[in-house]
Amino acid sequence: MSRASLLLALVLLACKRPEPESPAQVYLRDPAAVARGRLIFVGNCGAYCHSTQNVERDAPSLFDCEWKHGSRDADIFHVISEGVPGTRMPAWKGTLPEGDADIWRVVAYLRSASVCKENAPPAPH
Amino acid sequence: MTKRSWIWGLALVFACGQVAAAAEGEQPAEIQLPPVPTHWKAEKPVGGAAGPVTQDMLNVAVTPPDRWIQYGGNYRNFRHSPIKALTPESAKKLSVAWAFPTGTTGQFEASPVVYGGVMYVTSSYNRLFALDAKTGELLWRYDHKNGENLRLCCGPPNRGVGIAGDLVIMGTLDAHLIAFNRKTGEIAWDITVADYKAGFSLTSAPLIVHDLAIIGVAGGEYGVRGFFDAYDAKTGKAVWRKYTVPGKGEPGADSWAGDSYERGGAPAWTYGAYDPESDTLYWTTGNPAPDWDGDGRKGDNLYSDSVLALDPKTGNTKWYFQFTPHDVWDYDGNTQIFLVDTKFDGKPRKLLVQANRNGFYYVLDRSDGKFLRATPYLEQVNWATIDDKGRPVVNPDAMPKEDSKFRTCPSNLGGMNGSFTGALNPDLGLVFIPSSEACQVFTKGISAFKEGLPYLGGLPDTVDATAGKAYGNLAAIDVSTGKVKWRFRDNRPMMGGTLSTAGGLVISGTLEGEVIALDAKSGKVVWRFRSGGGMRGQPIAYQLDGRTYVAVPTGSFSTMDSFAAGVTKVPEGGTLFVFALPK
Repeated sequence: MSRASLLLALVLLACKRPEPESPAQVYLRDPAAVARGRLIFVGNCGAYCHSTQNVERDAPSLFDCEWKHGSRDADIFHVISEGVPGTRMPAWKGTLPEGDADIWRVVAYLRSASVCKENAPPAPH
Repeated sequence: MTKRSWIWGLALVFACGQVAAAAEGEQPAEIQLPPVPTHWKAEKPVGGAAGPVTQDMLNVAVTPPDRWIQYGGNYRNFRHSPIKALTPESAKKLSVAWAFPTGTTGQFEASPVVYGGVMYVTSSYNRLFALDAKTGELLWRYDHKNGENLRLCCGPPNRGVGIAGDLVIMGTLDAHLIAFNRKTGEIAWDITVADYKAGFSLTSAPLIVHDLAIIGVAGGEYGVRGFFDAYDAKTGKAVWRKYTVPGKGEPGADSWAGDSYERGGAPAWTYGAYDPESDTLYWTTGNPAPDWDGDGRKGDNLYSDSVLALDPKTGNTKWYFQFTPHDVWDYDGNTQIFLVDTKFDGKPRKLLVQANRNGFYYVLDRSDGKFLRATPYLEQVNWATIDDKGRPVVNPDAMPKEDSKFRTCPSNLGGMNGSFTGALNPDLGLVFIPSSEACQVFTKGISAFKEGLPYLGGLPDTVDATAGKAYGNLAAIDVSTGKVKWRFRDNRPMMGGTLSTAGGLVISGTLEGEVIALDAKSGKVVWRFRSGGGMRGQPIAYQLDGRTYVAVPTGSFSTMDSFAAGVTKVPEGGTLFVFALPK
């Protein structure tokens, strides 16, 4: 590699903008946002569907760090927003009181409450 | 072009063709399968020797042993067979006469119906089978093609058919009501009761009164406005609809804050009862919505968690009684109701009794709805006591909270639950009630309503079930006093239905996959049969050509089993077992 090419590569690397932080990561630093995400989860998702006790039902546990449709925050947001056709998972887009912001808060709550080790104890909520 | 060029050219074309053919050959040939049949009609009419089922046949207090023509056994819902041959002694001689697979998963909650030597039984996901009741031979079959994305809180059950004249009638998970010629399996009519995508479904058997097929909707977890309907059994034409939540300005609307009644739930998903003497229909209602967040619906939330007495010809209300005003536990009001004529405090009285999901056994005067008594029938009840007017005095600790730690008993499933039946032996004055003994931590969250989506507002943390502490009882309760005479205990909740016999037997089953028979007087188990599948069905008995049969649907739904009792290894899959005594 010529000196000029090396210089160009270094300049490009320096100019590369970092991956934008997902709203869920911002909310993760805000206890009130995580708490609201929990209450939305409690109010809509945890009764007959996703167990808060890390128990696998026909709806999967969401506290074991195992994701069926992608593990990025954006993937989880997408599943909550659009639902999963052919399953009991409905699309929550346009339903929650504060719209997309509430979905991101749920993602933040799931991140905060997950226990990734084997034999995980019941997730806090 | 030279000769050699021609040869090379042809070779190239051939090679390309081979490559293309090979590439195509990698694709599997498309196999055209014929469409899967969903409806098999009888080759020749069946059960024709018996005439149409009449109102007189339905009215009798004791149904003859050669038939079982109502979900509840009779209009009083006793599920008590007059067969004296089924005794604690003879039960040991029961053996399998035949068995039949439904081919479906999910809970097999049906009560079979038998008439004219033919058994009509439904499975989860709405298959309907007509079987020779003596041999199990399949006579006709219908597999309903339910719509996509069903709105089901708790599984895909169906609890059976009603028989009216020569029609058998089934409700479906996508909220159709369909009538079939009982002899041929031909569809006589098919109507849409409600838009299932709005959260409605039908899981109950219809109740037949005065040539009306009466059935109510499920959907309390979707914020529907509950109702039950009466349809002309001959044509399917709508006759009346009874909303269980009042509309704007109607009596009871002021028991809901603001416009919360518009999505108030109060489904009517179970089976009613009928008193021919007073011509009164009794129907029960379920939880207000959202289930666990009552903040937006302050008030008693009429007519949720209630029993209504009505004129069956018009649907007009005669009286009502609300068991759990402002329910925030999902206790419902719609477990099986029994209509009993017996002595109460030494005087003959016409009673309506119910082991309510909220853990109390209620005794009402069914002529006017007057509250007479409520006693706990569970070993664990701490959410409330009942005052002398029948109104709960709620334990404040039991109220759902955002950070609750309190174990509230019973669980939201009960106690007893409307998805399974008890039975009543009028000779012994005992009612037999299966139940779950489990407590939960009720947590309140943020509600969000959108038509067709779950509308819950909180959750019941299944702490006992997850810890393996949930268990079950089958209790024998004195009909009049509510005192528990005996309990049979199982390590998991008892969620199978019940049959009583005039010979002093009680038949039920366990989630672990055993059918059991007990001595009605003592509760002692006198016979067990390993069915393999968890029992969620409603057993019946009948006699044909001098032989006594007991039919028991088995097969449970893992998700609800786990919810009620913790993770289970018992596999799903419906199987109907039919046992017989030796001739």
